[in-house]
Amino acid sequence: MNFITRRTLLGGTAALGGLAALGLGNIPAFADEAGNKVLRLPLARAAGNLDPQRYVGIFAVQELIFDPLVQYTRGGVIEPALAESWDLAEDETSVTFHLRPDVTFTDGEKWNAASMVWNLERWLPKEDYNWLHISNNLDRIETVDDMTVAIHFTKPTPTALTEFTYVRPVRFLSPKAVDADGTYAEPVGTGPWKIEKDAPEGTELVPNENYWGTRPQLDKLSLVVIPDARSRMSALQAGDIDAMGGAFIAPVAPQEATTLKANGITVVTDTGTDTMLLGFNPRIELFKDVKVRHAFNLLIDREGIGAVLMKGFATPTMNLYPEVIAYSGKRYDVPKRDVEAAKALLEEAGWTGDGIRSRDGKPLKVELVVSEDAVPNSRALGEVLQAGFAEAGIDLSLRNVDHAARHGDIPEFKYDLSLFVTNGAPYDPYNTLGLMILSTIQPGTDGKIFEDPEVDPLIEAALNAPEGEREAAFQAVLDWLHDNWAMAPLYHAQRIWAHNDRIKAFEIPATEYEMPLKGLAL
Amino acid sequence: MKDFISTLRAVGWPINLLIAFFIFITLFGSFITPYDPNAQDLMSALQSFSTRHWLGTDNLGRDTLSRLISGAQTTLVGVTIILAMAGTVGMVLGTISGFFGRWVDEVIMRLVDFGLSVPSLFVALAIVGVFGPSYWNMIIALSIAWVPIYARLTRGVVKAAVNQPHIESLRVLGASRTRIIVHHLIPVALGQVLIYASADAGLLALAIANLSFLGLGVQPPLAEWGQMLVSGMPYLQEAPRLVILPGVALTLMVVGFNLFGESIALAKNPRPLSKRKLALRRQLFMKEKAA
Repeated sequence: MNFITRRTLLGGTAALGGLAALGLGNIPAFADEAGNKVLRLPLARAAGNLDPQRYVGIFAVQELIFDPLVQYTRGGVIEPALAESWDLAEDETSVTFHLRPDVTFTDGEKWNAASMVWNLERWLPKEDYNWLHISNNLDRIETVDDMTVAIHFTKPTPTALTEFTYVRPVRFLSPKAVDADGTYAEPVGTGPWKIEKDAPEGTELVPNENYWGTRPQLDKLSLVVIPDARSRMSALQAGDIDAMGGAFIAPVAPQEATTLKANGITVVTDTGTDTMLLGFNPRIELFKDVKVRHAFNLLIDREGIGAVLMKGFATPTMNLYPEVIAYSGKRYDVPKRDVEAAKALLEEAGWTGDGIRSRDGKPLKVELVVSEDAVPNSRALGEVLQAGFAEAGIDLSLRNVDHAARHGDIPEFKYDLSLFVTNGAPYDPYNTLGLMILSTIQPGTDGKIFEDPEVDPLIEAALNAPEGEREAAFQAVLDWLHDNWAMAPLYHAQRIWAHNDRIKAFEIPATEYEMPLKGLAL
Repeated sequence: MKDFISTLRAVGWPINLLIAFFIFITLFGSFITPYDPNAQDLMSALQSFSTRHWLGTDNLGRDTLSRLISGAQTTLVGVTIILAMAGTVGMVLGTISGFFGRWVDEVIMRLVDFGLSVPSLFVALAIVGVFGPSYWNMIIALSIAWVPIYARLTRGVVKAAVNQPHIESLRVLGASRTRIIVHHLIPVALGQVLIYASADAGLLALAIANLSFLGLGVQPPLAEWGQMLVSGMPYLQEAPRLVILPGVALTLMVVGFNLFGESIALAKNPRPLSKRKLALRRQLFMKEKAA
């Protein structure tokens, strides 16, 4: 009478489970067969307001929709984009753009001198944007004919072309994509992609069928917001997303890259374009002493940090810029950690005593601002520095702050020590020197790494040097900073992307402000 | 003393042993850590269990066992300070409130109600948020957050005791208010507060770990379990022990103190007589009646 015994029940369940697994295995995860090539990438936060003149949205999403006049490619080579060609005046005081014909915005509006000038006037003459030399030095915008525009500067502006490659505020919006009073209304550009759906949980883009350049080989780009790095990693391993990476898209930390690699995910790296460095607050007495800065520099175990904290995904350095940045100058030797030499220097500087050193009764206590969400891995890095400094009698405390608090404190010099990252491509070599070191410019949200009126003329000379003299002028600045131990460069981190097998060809983009879509094949 | 031992006996030896173990490493931890808990050695980072490092090393090459022991110290010292501060202030407020009654009681109790209506951890988070993260700010914040609990508890005990005949007799005999409070009310309240505190210690250990996990409590280089958890998170797959070990330690401490406090409270409560005793009583009663 007993039809269902324990054994038949268990066996039946197992068989059912097996069938279910087989069945599931047959359901295609992607509708590839239907010719539907969908690429799914994560975003660490929502794409946000994509207004090209505001600093809110995610760069890489803005870059998909809005085109530049000229495009930055590897090594700082400038290529045509919305401008088919250009003439740079001999003295670099003006640049004339010859616009690409037959280009339309995705709402049908024509790309011509009128729409270009309409865009430029929204920001170029305004004071808010004068951190850009093209804005600061602007003389006038001249419409030569319907497809030619010349921009004149008050003085030589060697950075002009590079600055026209930037994502914001430089890119071009359709003149129809604004309200009656001229405020931004919707993201309409000439770029390879257009927005299909934009929500806090993700953004979906479809190719712009009228794009002037090489059209994307994909049918859809689906950007999913996954704020937590560990969730992104499991989504990638589960096949819910196809790739992750990019400092401002969905960053992969060195430790995460190691884990992903161990799980059979392809990890792609590329030489980084920025530098992680420890900055000394230039406005406090302690760090005006070169000997102290020198001593602090000698107490850092750069090799250990690169090998262990960064899992080898970083090159220890003493340079302000990595080699891939133009005019980054000759490579300096990375000093070995030398506690005794550092102690001697501190003694010379008047900081003496056993245990915590002191001078005139004041203990050698400094505070390092760390912000895990602004500079990933900074807490562990802080702990390594803390232990290293303690050996020479320096009491380093760590102050944990969030991203917003860091952006408030750093420009106001409310710190002793802080970690900084240089701007990287396409901004460098100009921006980090011109904004974060030149003392005559107000500190931006990223603050000042160093300032000293003595180095200002050298920086000015480098920024304005004609092409032939530029290399030597930059080298002079970099040498001065190095000889004066102005900061403590730590490492050049590698750029990391990870992708699954669905992606057949993958290429890390030229800057951290782009999606890796050129050269990507499913 | 006899009372103390019989209470401990009622608690049961596994829990006693666990609590004794935690107290032992708090008192003598510094002598038994095999390494300096803050000594880094980057070149031997992330090592697994070995004879050199029994519980392996963390991401900066520090000895995990030493850090766990040092973390227990940090936590229990913190818990003790907080309980002492919150208990003292709470007891003073509660006794004043219960003894004097009327508007004093009203004012203090409404403040306490306000304090109790917001979860303690939120109060602590807000205080640390305003004054900035540091060890002492965390201690003060948690103490403030825990005061209302003890004030309310003491007030209940005092209120009940104040109307007892022996207190009334004291009043009639002319004992001063101070004498009544110090010699007759506080000892009663103290017993209750200590019982409650022994159970609360676990919760507080968790609160300290919570705040430190968020980067708002104990600051590096001081070892603390919550902090060990958060710095081990990125290594969850490569070296899960970095998360599991402090997690287990924290769980043992929280569960241990909870069971400890609960058992003491149970031991102190009058229990219904067992069947055997009841039968014995009945027999005696019947005998007496027969006689």
